Amino acid sequence: MAKRQKRFEVLADRPVNKDGFIKEWVDVGLVAMESPNDPKPSIKIENGVVVELDGKRRDDFDMIDYAIADYCIDKRVAEEAMAIDSLKFARMLVDINVPRAELVRLAVGLSPAKVVAILRELNVVELMMTMQKMRTRKPPMNQAHVTNVKDSAPLLAADAAEAAYRGFAEIETTVGIARYAPMNALALLVGGQVGRPGVLSQCAVEEAAELNMGMRGLTSYAETVSVYGTEQVFIDGDDTPWSKFFLASAYASRGLKMRYTSGTGSEVLMGYAEGKSMLYLEVRCIMVTKGAGVQGLQNGSISCIGVPGAVPAGIRAVLAENVATVLMNLEVASGNDQTFTHSIERNTARMLMQFLPGTDFIFSGYAAEPNYDNMFAGSTHDVDDYDDYLVLQRDLQVDGGLMPVTEEGVIQVRNKAARALQAVFEEVGLPPITDDEVERATYAHGSKEMGDRNVPEDLRAIDGFMKRGSTGLDVVRALAKRGFRDVAEAVLEMQKAKVAGDYLQTSAVFDDKFNVISSINHPNDYEGPGTGYRLTGDRWELLKNIPQAIDAEQI
Amino acid sequence: MAQINDISPEVIEAAVKRVLSSLNGGAAAPQETAHAPSNGASGKLDAKKDYPLSQKRPDLVKSATGLAFNEITLDKVVEGKLGFDDVRIRPETLEYQAQIAESGGRPHIATNLRRAAELTRIPDDRVLEIYVALRPYRSTKQELMGIADELEAKYSAKVCAKFVREAAEVYEKRGRLKGQ
Repeated sequence: MAKRQKRFEVLADRPVNKDGFIKEWVDVGLVAMESPNDPKPSIKIENGVVVELDGKRRDDFDMIDYAIADYCIDKRVAEEAMAIDSLKFARMLVDINVPRAELVRLAVGLSPAKVVAILRELNVVELMMTMQKMRTRKPPMNQAHVTNVKDSAPLLAADAAEAAYRGFAEIETTVGIARYAPMNALALLVGGQVGRPGVLSQCAVEEAAELNMGMRGLTSYAETVSVYGTEQVFIDGDDTPWSKFFLASAYASRGLKMRYTSGTGSEVLMGYAEGKSMLYLEVRCIMVTKGAGVQGLQNGSISCIGVPGAVPAGIRAVLAENVATVLMNLEVASGNDQTFTHSIERNTARMLMQFLPGTDFIFSGYAAEPNYDNMFAGSTHDVDDYDDYLVLQRDLQVDGGLMPVTEEGVIQVRNKAARALQAVFEEVGLPPITDDEVERATYAHGSKEMGDRNVPEDLRAIDGFMKRGSTGLDVVRALAKRGFRDVAEAVLEMQKAKVAGDYLQTSAVFDDKFNVISSINHPNDYEGPGTGYRLTGDRWELLKNIPQAIDAEQI
Repeated sequence: MAQINDISPEVIEAAVKRVLSSLNGGAAAPQETAHAPSNGASGKLDAKKDYPLSQKRPDLVKSATGLAFNEITLDKVVEGKLGFDDVRIRPETLEYQAQIAESGGRPHIATNLRRAAELTRIPDDRVLEIYVALRPYRSTKQELMGIADELEAKYSAKVCAKFVREAAEVYEKRGRLKGQ
């Protein structure tokens, strides 16, 4: 254009125009909720066996079809559920007079295509209403990422402590260098229990390595156990539904909580979407998860959020996949865990879809470090957004799982966590954490303020720690010996949690007295206004009292 | 319902060692009582009455070595009287949690927990190896059938054995066996 209109020049420079957008492209699966290639819903059952699913005969089933047909679908309710008109079912979802339990009973009778047909009838407000009603656990909660680019253990411990102290119910780490995994897990275990006893911690790495750390009591749950919606992508992910089912049982056999991970867009990115809509493929993942007998799922596109984010109604589809998860009576850790836009407005709008209705874990997770230190490729919100998030909770009277804190309190837990880990390192024969590192970790914004550790020495030492067969009990002993008796008690309680198995039940977390809070003893009982989770009483007093608020009595 | 004689030799050995060491230290040896308790008319646990087990039925919760839940204390850990097997879950507990899940309307979870109960009897390394063997293109049909036989014969893991045989059939049909 020879002469630019000045408003358009300004708009062209807006952050949102740095984002990628693409028109729907059905052949490669770049379509959110409705592809002409999506099958028509159908189920045929003969002698208690599913012989046809979404128009496909049993002889033609792929592995995912078998897993869904034989392990997920309840053959006793399938015909009843499939006979309900999709629009009618959608209306039942938002109808406060239709109990959650009835919808959960029917949901396992639906085929994947039928679930998608129902969700297509709901706009985002209706999807949020459904989430509020169908979420499995009554109180909503949140999860944080705790990572840094240097894999600095003292900083991980301090950040874990602060995240737990601020109210995150689960904390998740991963690695810059793969061999660091057990050391990072150890830092979260110790730091997390300093910040708030009972917080669950995990370390997301390759499947077998992750299970091994759990077996040793260095982590208390796992999440990065990926499932996919087409057989080819499942295979390319180096698993099958059977290997993943077995892995689920392996975790439970060691008393460890776990959830699967999936998300819209992964099949597109890996090149085998079969021209199906992202939501259809994701619903297949959700139903595989249900079939595995896994208690929950992390979804909401997760690391593939750029894909649904680029197509029309993509962010609606992301909410719809969260809703499909709770419809299957599964815990949902609902994404918001990867940067997908340059626009602050889009970023917040995307997050509100889960924040407003509340989910089991609104973020999976929130960056408890500056985004440059987030080793999960950034999160939608990070440490610099804490106060904005607290104000959003206060403005809207919504419980997003984050608590106002004092600077003194944060300094105290960060320092104690770093010192506790320093003591553990010394006791179990890991390279020393210096007093200078403790001081830096206490006051740091991020890893730029930390010195460099001797990486080869750290790696050799942590390899040795694992080869010696060290476990969570060695950590308990070290803490007790060095005077951190309260932390030792908390780490021991996390080991005992695996003996009792109470937190294997759906959507389980612990409070600071190690009382388990799950869908079994705290089920969502939303039935319209005046019911369900309400942000009132002591909790509202806590969340609304941000330190910045002026108190009229003190003027 | 798994019985105490189903648990792996390694775990029994650890339990015996621990009992002996606590006897030497003068402490009372914990009793190994792994028999199914009577749980009301149905004989099954109830989500509303019995959950969480650690608080409402601590009498039922014992470690893999038979140690009572409330006997797992910091002092004993510090004194070196407890080993890692004393903080491992035992198959009975997974069966109880399966009953809780069922009574809470979650039969799918119960199925997984019952597979898990069988896997408690298998050492960590072997569990990891079997997982890897189930990954695509790792095993021939005969190898998978061999694992199934091992699960059944060595660990009396009947549900898991059936599951692995089923995997072998599906992998063959879909061309995901070694060399396919």
